[in-house]
Amino acid sequence: MTEPLDGATVEVIRNYLVSVGEQMRRTLVRAAFNPVIYEVLDFGISIYNADLELTAEAAGITSFLGANDHAIVKGVEYVGRENLRQGDVYLLNYPYWSGAHSYDAMLFAPVFRPGHEGPAAYLAVRAHWMDLGAKAPGYVLDSTDMHQEGLIFPGTKIVSRGEVVRDIVELIRFNSRLPDLTIGDFHAQLASLRTGENRLAQVWEKFGGPTVDQAVRQIIEHGERVARKAVAALPDGTWTAFDYCDDDGITDDLIRMEVKVTIAGERMEVDFNGSDGAVAGPVNLPIGATESLAKAIYKELTTATEPSNAGHYRALDIKADPGNFFHAVYPVATFTQWSGIVAFELMHKALAQVLDSIPASSGGDEPGFMALGHDPRTGADYVISNNEGIGWGASRDHDGANAQQHPSQSVVRNTPIEVLEHKATLFHERLELIPDSGGAGRHRGGLGVLRQVRYLADGEVLSMKKKSKTRPWALHGGQESEPSEMVLWPETERAKRVGMYRAAMRAGDRFVNRTAGGGGYGDPLERDPAAVVADVLDGYVSAEIAEQIYGVIVDETGGWRPTPARAENHEG
Amino acid sequence: MKSAIRFAVDIGGTFVDAIAYDETTGELRLHKAPTTPGSPARGVFDAVGGLADRLDDVEAFVHGTTLGLNAILQRRGADVGIITNEGFRDLLEIARANVPAAHMYDFSYAPPPPLVPRRHRTGVPGRMDAQGAEVTELDEDAVREAGRLLVEERGLRSLAICFLHSYANPAHERRAARILRAAYPDVSVSTSTDITREYREYERTSTVTLDAYIRPVLNDYIGALEGGLADAGLTRPLHIMRSGGGAMTAELARRAPLMTVLSGPAGGVVGASFLAREQHLPKLISFDVGGTSVDCCVIEDGEPGEVHEAAIDGFPLLIPIFDIRTVGAGGGSIAWIDEGLLKVGPHSAGAVPGPVAYGAGGTEPTVTDAALVLGYLDPAAFLDGEMAIDAGAARAAIEAELAVPLGVTVTQAAASVFQVLLARTVGALREITVERALDPREFALLAYGGAGPLLGPMLAREMGIATTLIPRVPAAFSAFGMLMSDLEYEFATTVLRPLSDATLAAVEPAFAELEQQGEEVLSTQGIKPEDRKLIRRLDVRYHGQEHSLGIDLAPGDTAATVLSRFNAQHEARYGHAMPDAGQILTLRVRAVGKLAKPGLRELPATGPGRARPAGSRPAFDVATGEVTPFQVYLRGSLAPGHTLRGPAIVEEGTSTTVIFADQRLTVDGYGQLLVTGGEND
Repeated sequence: MTEPLDGATVEVIRNYLVSVGEQMRRTLVRAAFNPVIYEVLDFGISIYNADLELTAEAAGITSFLGANDHAIVKGVEYVGRENLRQGDVYLLNYPYWSGAHSYDAMLFAPVFRPGHEGPAAYLAVRAHWMDLGAKAPGYVLDSTDMHQEGLIFPGTKIVSRGEVVRDIVELIRFNSRLPDLTIGDFHAQLASLRTGENRLAQVWEKFGGPTVDQAVRQIIEHGERVARKAVAALPDGTWTAFDYCDDDGITDDLIRMEVKVTIAGERMEVDFNGSDGAVAGPVNLPIGATESLAKAIYKELTTATEPSNAGHYRALDIKADPGNFFHAVYPVATFTQWSGIVAFELMHKALAQVLDSIPASSGGDEPGFMALGHDPRTGADYVISNNEGIGWGASRDHDGANAQQHPSQSVVRNTPIEVLEHKATLFHERLELIPDSGGAGRHRGGLGVLRQVRYLADGEVLSMKKKSKTRPWALHGGQESEPSEMVLWPETERAKRVGMYRAAMRAGDRFVNRTAGGGGYGDPLERDPAAVVADVLDGYVSAEIAEQIYGVIVDETGGWRPTPARAENHEG
Repeated sequence: MKSAIRFAVDIGGTFVDAIAYDETTGELRLHKAPTTPGSPARGVFDAVGGLADRLDDVEAFVHGTTLGLNAILQRRGADVGIITNEGFRDLLEIARANVPAAHMYDFSYAPPPPLVPRRHRTGVPGRMDAQGAEVTELDEDAVREAGRLLVEERGLRSLAICFLHSYANPAHERRAARILRAAYPDVSVSTSTDITREYREYERTSTVTLDAYIRPVLNDYIGALEGGLADAGLTRPLHIMRSGGGAMTAELARRAPLMTVLSGPAGGVVGASFLAREQHLPKLISFDVGGTSVDCCVIEDGEPGEVHEAAIDGFPLLIPIFDIRTVGAGGGSIAWIDEGLLKVGPHSAGAVPGPVAYGAGGTEPTVTDAALVLGYLDPAAFLDGEMAIDAGAARAAIEAELAVPLGVTVTQAAASVFQVLLARTVGALREITVERALDPREFALLAYGGAGPLLGPMLAREMGIATTLIPRVPAAFSAFGMLMSDLEYEFATTVLRPLSDATLAAVEPAFAELEQQGEEVLSTQGIKPEDRKLIRRLDVRYHGQEHSLGIDLAPGDTAATVLSRFNAQHEARYGHAMPDAGQILTLRVRAVGKLAKPGLRELPATGPGRARPAGSRPAFDVATGEVTPFQVYLRGSLAPGHTLRGPAIVEEGTSTTVIFADQRLTVDGYGQLLVTGGEND
């Protein structure tokens, strides 16, 4: 055992290691072929020490935190540590191990260094591939087992001692509908791994391998101390909450998701076992995905601004037994994990019973859409997607944000109208905030948006949302908001309200994508009347709702008077 | 002999730097005056007055101002009204709907309120499609009604207009602007397409809104400045720095105020590019260290990296700027202990209370305090002795706050502050170069800003950078850089067509129109035809991709030659080229009006043959890890040809250069310091 290092040396080495992850991230984004990687940020990059503990990471989006942690352990176990050689790279997308659907391909590589027995570190880069031969092109909404979800690799050597294994790459080429993009992204991931190997070697050379190993131990211990301290500051107890995901895409039944959160001293336990069992459709969650969403909420509460390491999560226990909805086992379908987005805020709902700093529900999930078709102007096919903003939940200190991406992928941007109308035969008739869509409360939930689009030529639309049948939750006397929905062919006899759905559109057909507002926080009658007046003047809240729900009668000059309900509430 | 004095004035957060460069003698003088936020022009007059009583003989006057930037950051701009398409009044507020990456795990994040409240935004019927064809006519009565609502009812004096697809056809924007200007001649009216012809409706709306927001403020300021400088005898035109390099006349700056908002760091990059070309440094990183940030820009073959989108406080603006990356740590950054680990930043002591040593109430040790403890800064000579420094207090704070909790000596604690700051900076430089598949060790470093000469040689040692160049008067190098500017203006229009010979022929009229605009701007700024240069450029991408690259067009170019240059650049930048077809995204014309500029002037090798130290003091040598005597030289006593071996300190009042035992320093023919050597040399 090396002597403990001083806190300055550890911090210097920590900065170098975090930068290695960041350089890997920039290399991947620089070299990636498909926009799902460089625009939607659908990737996760991690560095592990010899004991497979997370040293540093560069997550693409919030809900991919620690996404590789489960997969690297499973992958190394499957391959056998003793079989790993310098220059090898393995491919893993078996969902029950990788913690993601089959199109999220993780590459991992052992990194060796002179004088160290076995791998001294591991690197993992996971990224979304465009196609691996699942039953339908684009997104699969109705698979009922893994074998309808494309080609599976359980930890397959794809680079051997520095040489790409041609047979494996050809297997991918012949099984993918989009082979050039898929293999292009594979090479981008390799470039990212190579950057990581080189930079890690430089760090070892600069500081000495054993010194870096010791620093990593101390970095992880530090992470653990900080997180434990934060948990210790939270009240002890057990709280349970449940919520619903729309359905599994096969039947119309609601899926009940339950979490029990226990805080005991410096530890937190998150138990999903009260939830429904596995369902037929592709919305089941592998345990790795469940762990990621639990880690994200835990991170918010403990170490929100620090780059992650294994120590942060040592005092977190996550429970979901095999066969549960939150612990998919072979061969259940896992392709469309929107359910994980709906479950993202579930721990919040439990903890809100004791922590008044937790906001109300931020609309439920990511209510975007995809459009597919053929553009007669260019003669080319198009596939385009848009992540739509949603109203965020109100919180103790302020109103919820209007039309902001769901917290689980809040760093992703929407697609501009001018881009959508260039790349696809779509014509926008409206994109506006929806008045009165924010859940009422002492603090108001954020507003959702309404987007009305007309197809200029035949095509398809995929409505993406799994929280359209039940309402986003409110807190402390606030009001729930209306859930997200897509209405196909509005104001016609065919008008149809849908959640997750695929529909053929003819030229002239319309859809309206309407996203939920955030839940309200506190009694609306206690809302500051000046804020209600401002909301009415800005059209966030109608005069009718101001009077009926907030008890504020606003006149044309911006003056106001209370309704009897508010006056009574005030006196009471 | 007729003197040829050129003035440049740069306003920073705390000081206004004015420099006067005498082209005939090579003399470079600096005067600093405090920034005067209440009446910003006064600080400029104060700084200029410190160098000259009258400006009658001044050959050129260039000014970089942060006024527009500060108006945005401090929310002190005009109340603006927005007119957009009916059904789309919330585009400014919906924005791109994303949360800044720094707030990724803040699940109650609330963005700053939009610059224009919803009640001041309104829509009118009228619509273009993606090809610029009119789908619905502009409803002129609705425009008049919108004007009545925003101006007469809401009392707004500055309006911004942005319509969907106006980049493809600005007719509706122009007509709406004409109607409103006719109805309200005193109200300022900005249209998005007057500033940018690029697509993406939110970014264009944000751009025109920021323009409308700062226009009245800039207009008043430039008016005050012109008046005061004319009173002092200035006969030459006042030039204002642009964010993307180059300068423009004050008159044009009033019409396009947004082009000035990020001009602060641009001067330094222009100066660095000038030096890179003059001194044949094909790979140079500009390294500007101030009180709260380190700003870096990669300069290849004398050309700084550029981007066409900037952001201020999260609000995007579609204007060309240099690709400057910032690390949030500088001289004022606070060092603190977090559960046993030493952290530097992100908090800064700022100008008030400032470092502990300033004695203005600061209790948390900063990088500057560490520099005092390590002997790098001389308490007696701080800012030429104009500032009282309490080195004892700095030492006590480092001891109590850092050394004791870490269990190390005060010197070790102070040295560690620099190690942590360096580790962050090294990471940032690696990250900005890896994006371009470059190795920072192939670069030279140009270190400037108050603390650049102190940190630069230390960073070069750490990263294995062979050469660090320290210019004359490094603390005012940004102002010096402004003297090297040409007049520049960029015109762009989004076209979105396949890259083909037919397209190249079809866009010829659009290019000609952009060039025509360029010619007009240069001619109204008094540039003679022989000094005008118009450069055509295409933004090209693979069909279906998001990111594009700028490809300069040469006469005789065909689709094939453009595509092959694009493929080569794509390979260099992104690691691969593709067999796919190319698509043209944007046409750009850069109009350059050459201005007479001072050259670098060789200085005489006067004085003694060897550099003579003015003294010596103990300081911490990072090469040996020990406190040893450093020879101390005054920069004014150094002359071309002088060579020093480290460890040594060169002082010049506003900044300090520190080199270590394994480094040496040579004074080049222009009086600049070249630091070489270091552990990886």
